[in-house]
Amino acid sequence: MEQQENSTDQNEPLDAILDAAVDAMVISDEQGRILRFNRAAQGLFGYTEEDMAGRNVTALMPEPDRGRHAQYMSRYLSGGTPAIIGLGREVTGLHASGKTMPMHLSVGEIRGSGEARFVAIIRDLSEAKATEKEVRELETHLAHADRLVVLGELTAGIAHEINQPLTAIAAFADAGARLIGSRHPEAQEELEAICRRVSEQARRAGDVVSRLRRLARKGAIAKSAHDIEELVGNVLLLFGHELKSSGVDLVTEFEPNLPLMHLDEIQIQQVIVNLIKNSIDSLNAAGSTQPRVKVRVQISGSQVDILVSDNGPGVPGEQRTHLFEPFYTTKPHGVGLGLSICKNIAVAHGGNLSYEPSQSGGALFRLSLPLAYIG
Amino acid sequence: MSKGKGRICIVDDDEAVRESLRVLLFSAGYQSCQFESADAFLAEPSRPEVDAYLLDFRMPGTDGMTLHKQLVDEGCHVPVIFITGHGDIPLAVTAIQRGAADFLTKPFEDRELLEKIENAVRQFRALQSELDEIEAARVRLDELTPRERDVLDLIVQGHSNKQAAAHLNISPRTVEIHRARVMEKTGADSVATLVRMAGLLDQDKQ
Repeated sequence: MEQQENSTDQNEPLDAILDAAVDAMVISDEQGRILRFNRAAQGLFGYTEEDMAGRNVTALMPEPDRGRHAQYMSRYLSGGTPAIIGLGREVTGLHASGKTMPMHLSVGEIRGSGEARFVAIIRDLSEAKATEKEVRELETHLAHADRLVVLGELTAGIAHEINQPLTAIAAFADAGARLIGSRHPEAQEELEAICRRVSEQARRAGDVVSRLRRLARKGAIAKSAHDIEELVGNVLLLFGHELKSSGVDLVTEFEPNLPLMHLDEIQIQQVIVNLIKNSIDSLNAAGSTQPRVKVRVQISGSQVDILVSDNGPGVPGEQRTHLFEPFYTTKPHGVGLGLSICKNIAVAHGGNLSYEPSQSGGALFRLSLPLAYIG
Repeated sequence: MSKGKGRICIVDDDEAVRESLRVLLFSAGYQSCQFESADAFLAEPSRPEVDAYLLDFRMPGTDGMTLHKQLVDEGCHVPVIFITGHGDIPLAVTAIQRGAADFLTKPFEDRELLEKIENAVRQFRALQSELDEIEAARVRLDELTPRERDVLDLIVQGHSNKQAAAHLNISPRTVEIHRARVMEKTGADSVATLVRMAGLLDQDKQ
């Protein structure tokens, strides 16, 4: 038995449901003419139902969707693939004020006799998007702050790495000044070598500064192809002095023929810096004899594992479960963000950061990164 | 001790610093030998003949401080000058207390380095010639018989032949013979020279 479509009595419960819905709902006909525009839709778009009754739904869309809408509809009605109908996706909506807003839109077809009608259910994503953006920004801030903290701890070592070439430059130049005009048979040859060495050492100092600047820079995640061996090598250069003064032996093992990896160089370096620094700190605190840190890079299955291990005391059982939680620290002056930020970085790269005891009973951190990109 | 202006031994693990020190010393007329670590230095079968050491504190393996101690334990008198980073001043002070000649902070001025090297070489050579003299005196005095040694001791204390004879309960004539033998064996031309020789050895014993 057919019901008469416009019967007010029959529509009463439907109206109540439409207006009670939290999500905006817009019902339109085959031509896209608006039949119903619920209360939430009025709030979302800034129009009354009267404003919109009979108008085309394209009034709620900015270009280019507005221009394409008729095409979408006719393709659907002639049996083609739906762009939105039956599916849901993120779109941009147009408010009465002319402002655009991110929203989730799903459209269903109301099947009955006669002409097809469509119900669009729309959820405002402005707030969710803003929160997401805020979280991303906060993460970027935190990651940067953590890098600065770690760099601060490495300052003495980095100063040494710059002071060494400066010492050599000063001594070379002083020697050169003395040799100019010297009648010594080897003076000319020495002078030439001195000039080459001065420029070489100036570049050596410059390299340290530029590595430092890159790590200190603040920026959103930016992935590109990198040689993982070179990336790890650059990190180790910052540790030269730190290792020497703490007497820690550092060994590296690289699986041959590692592919280029698609990653954010600074962030992955940050993870490795944190892991090595943690190992050195723990070895120092434990007063280990023959302290050793090992960095191993290997391919395992569809991922590359960067393993940082040491022969220190390792992480006691009860601390392991909290290891990656923010603000969890066992260091007297620690903030407890290092490892949680490192884990976030790993996850943002589609990978993971995990802990396990090493064979010697020390700590072993495994940074896994997907081998998706082979350059 | 070497000939010429001096020969310096450089032990530093940074190749550029090592080489810049070599060429700076070369420009000032010094010779040098270089080692990339204390361990490489210690692995040599014999110690180089040098007038001063320039040592880095921090090196992989044996550090500069330990190398210095080893040299001192071996009875080496060659002065040691440490080259330090800014943070190592307390370490340098300890090194001086343990007998290091001096220290320099990186980066240093050439004049400062060369002055310290020159002082160290001069002091070492003065000490060395004194030590040589002591050694020569010891060799000569060792040739004396116990009785001749007794006579020498009394003479350098200012006793006359007669007084010495009375002390030793022998005749003044015998003292005279011993005394002539002492002068001959030591090659001393006067009592004053004898006093100086005996004094050097006493000093050395203390």
